[in-house]
Amino acid sequence: METTQQTESKIIELKPFTDEMVVNMGPQHPSTHGVLRLELRLDGEVVREAIPHIGYLHRCFEKHSENLSYPQIIPFTDRMDYVAAMNQNWGFCLAVEKLMAADESKDFAIPERAEYLRVLICELNRIASHLLSFGTYGMDIGAFTPFLYAFRDRERLLLLFEKICGARLTYNYIRIGGVSEIIPMEPGSIDEQNYLDEIESFLDYFEPKIDEYNDLLTSNSIFSERTMGVAVMSAEMALSYGATGPNIRGSGVDWDLRRDEPYSIYDRFDFDVPVAKDIPELGAVVGDCWSRYKVRMDEMKESVRIVRQILAEGLPDGPVMADLKAVRPPKGEIYFRSEAPRGELGFYIVSDGTPKPVRLKGRSPCFSALSALQELSRGLMVADIIAIIGSIDIVMGEVDR
Amino acid sequence: MDKYIRNIYKGVYTVLVGMRVTIRQFFEPNVTHQYPYQHDFEKKQNVREIPKGYRGQLYNRIEDCIGCKKCELICPVDCITITGDKLPKGEQLWDSMNVVHLKDGREVIGIIEGDDKKIMSEDSMTITNITTRLGSQEVIDRLEASGDESRTETFSTEEVSRVVTRNPVVFYLDQFDIDMSLCMYCGLCTEVCPTQCLVMKDSLEGIEYSSFDRTDLIFNFDKQEMYDKDEAENTEAAD
Repeated sequence: METTQQTESKIIELKPFTDEMVVNMGPQHPSTHGVLRLELRLDGEVVREAIPHIGYLHRCFEKHSENLSYPQIIPFTDRMDYVAAMNQNWGFCLAVEKLMAADESKDFAIPERAEYLRVLICELNRIASHLLSFGTYGMDIGAFTPFLYAFRDRERLLLLFEKICGARLTYNYIRIGGVSEIIPMEPGSIDEQNYLDEIESFLDYFEPKIDEYNDLLTSNSIFSERTMGVAVMSAEMALSYGATGPNIRGSGVDWDLRRDEPYSIYDRFDFDVPVAKDIPELGAVVGDCWSRYKVRMDEMKESVRIVRQILAEGLPDGPVMADLKAVRPPKGEIYFRSEAPRGELGFYIVSDGTPKPVRLKGRSPCFSALSALQELSRGLMVADIIAIIGSIDIVMGEVDR
Repeated sequence: MDKYIRNIYKGVYTVLVGMRVTIRQFFEPNVTHQYPYQHDFEKKQNVREIPKGYRGQLYNRIEDCIGCKKCELICPVDCITITGDKLPKGEQLWDSMNVVHLKDGREVIGIIEGDDKKIMSEDSMTITNITTRLGSQEVIDRLEASGDESRTETFSTEEVSRVVTRNPVVFYLDQFDIDMSLCMYCGLCTEVCPTQCLVMKDSLEGIEYSSFDRTDLIFNFDKQEMYDKDEAENTEAAD
C-alpha cells in the first residue's frame, strides 16, 4: 500500500503535464515548402517543441564545388534557391569578381551594360520570388485563389527570362565578368527595344495587380486573424538568429544591403526599404507573421520602381562581358554578401590560385531563418506552425544546399 | 457583444472586397488550357512560341565537329563522352569546304569564291561545287532540275546567317555520346564550341523527347557511315 502511493507520487512529479504526443510533419507535406520534416512534441494542440530536421535535399554543393572550376559552379548555384536563381548566380559571381579584383595585375571592369542587365533581371526575379511566396502563403492558410493569380503573373515573368537566357527556372545567366551572351541582344536593336517594351507592358499590368492582391488577401479578415500577432519575432531575436532580408525588416530593423552596403550600381537608383510598423487599428504587431508578409508585398512595388528607372534610362551601349581570358583568381579568401529575395546571401571562397576553389561556403538566409522556428513556435497551436513556415519564406534547396 | 457583431461585419466585408477581385476574373478568358488535350502544334492552337535560343535537347552536327573536347571539359556533370583518334599521316576524310547557313534554316555546302573570312562584309556570295555530300537535299534537287553543270549558286549576304569553314578532317571520332538524363541544361558546352556545331534545340523536338527507358536518352552523334564508306567498298572488293 505504501509503495504504490510512493510510485504514484513519483509519476506525478516526473510528468507534470498530460502525455506528450510526437507528430511528424513532413517531409512530404504540402505546406512545408519542400522536404522539411518537423518533429512536433504536442501537449494537446499546443506545440511544446517543434524540431526541424533538415538534410533531405542535401546535394553536397560545397564539397562538389571544390572539384569544379568557377564557371562550372554557377549552374549549381541555380539549384540553391531555385525560386530566385538569378540572384544566386549574381551573389556567387560578385564574390568571385571581388576575389579577382584583389589581383592588381589583371585589370578588368564589369561593363555598364552588364550591370544594368543584372539589376534589371534580378529585380524582376525578386518580384517572381515574392509572388511565389505570396501565392503559397495564401494556399497554406487556406486561400487557393491567390496562388493561381500569383502563378498567372509569374508565368509572364518566366517568359521574359526565357527570352533572355533560354531557361525558365535554372537560368545560368549571370557569369563571372558580365552576363551570358547565349542569346545575343545587340545594343539599340529592335530585339532590345521589343524586350524592354515587353517588360514595360508587364509592369503596367502588374502594378495595379499588387493593390488587387492586397484587397484579395492582405486585408482579408480570415487571413489577418490567423497571421496578425502570431509568432512575434522581436528585433533582438531576429538579430541573434541572423535572420535577414524581409524577415528582419518585418521585425522592424531597417537594414537592406542594397542601400546600406551598395554593391553593383544600386547606389544610382532611388528606392525605399519597406520596414514593418505597428498598425493598431488592424491589430498588426511588429515582428508577427503578417508584418513579414506585408514587407514582401511592399518590396514588390519597390522592385517595380527600380525596374522603371532602368527602363527610363535605357540600357547603355557596349559589351556585356568583361575581357577575361580565364577565371583564375589570386591566392586568398573572400566573403561577399548580397541581398537576395530571402535575405543576405553570402559566399566565402578560399582560393589557392588555381581555377578551382579550395573551399566554398554558402551562407544561406533560409537556414538562419529556419533556425528561429523552434523558438517562434513554442507555445503556439499546430495550425500556427503553418503560418510561421510560410511567413519566413524558406526554400529547402537553399537550406540544405 | 458589440465587438462580436463588428467582427462578423468586418469578416463579411473583407471577403466581399476579395470577391470583387475574383468576379472580375470570371469574365476574362482562361489563362490555362489542358496540355496535351487542347494542344496542337501543327495548327498552332493553344501553343506559345518557343523562344529562339531556348535550351532544349543537345544536338551535335557531327560534320562540323572538330573533336576539340572543349564541351567534355566544361560540362559540370560529365554527360558528354568523346573518344577518337587521329588518322594516319597524309590521309584526310575530305578537303576544305564552306558551309553556308541560310536564315531560313537551310544549309549549303560548297566552296565560296573569294576570301571566305571577309565574305560576310560583301553584298553577295557565289558558291561553286555545291556537293551532294551531307548537303541540303532540297537545294541539290533544284540544282539538278535546272541542269546546271557547274553547281553554282549566288546568295545575297542578307539571306545568310553565318559561314563556317570546314578544315580538312584528319581525325576520327569513335564516340560522341550525350547522356541527356544527366544533362542539367546549363548551356556551357554550346558557348565554348568553336565551330558552333553543338547546339540546344529550340524547337518542339528539343522539349518533348521523354522516354520510358533511361538508355534511350543516351544519344549517339558519331556517324560511322561517314568513315566506313571506303572500308565497306574495300571489303566488298576483297570478297
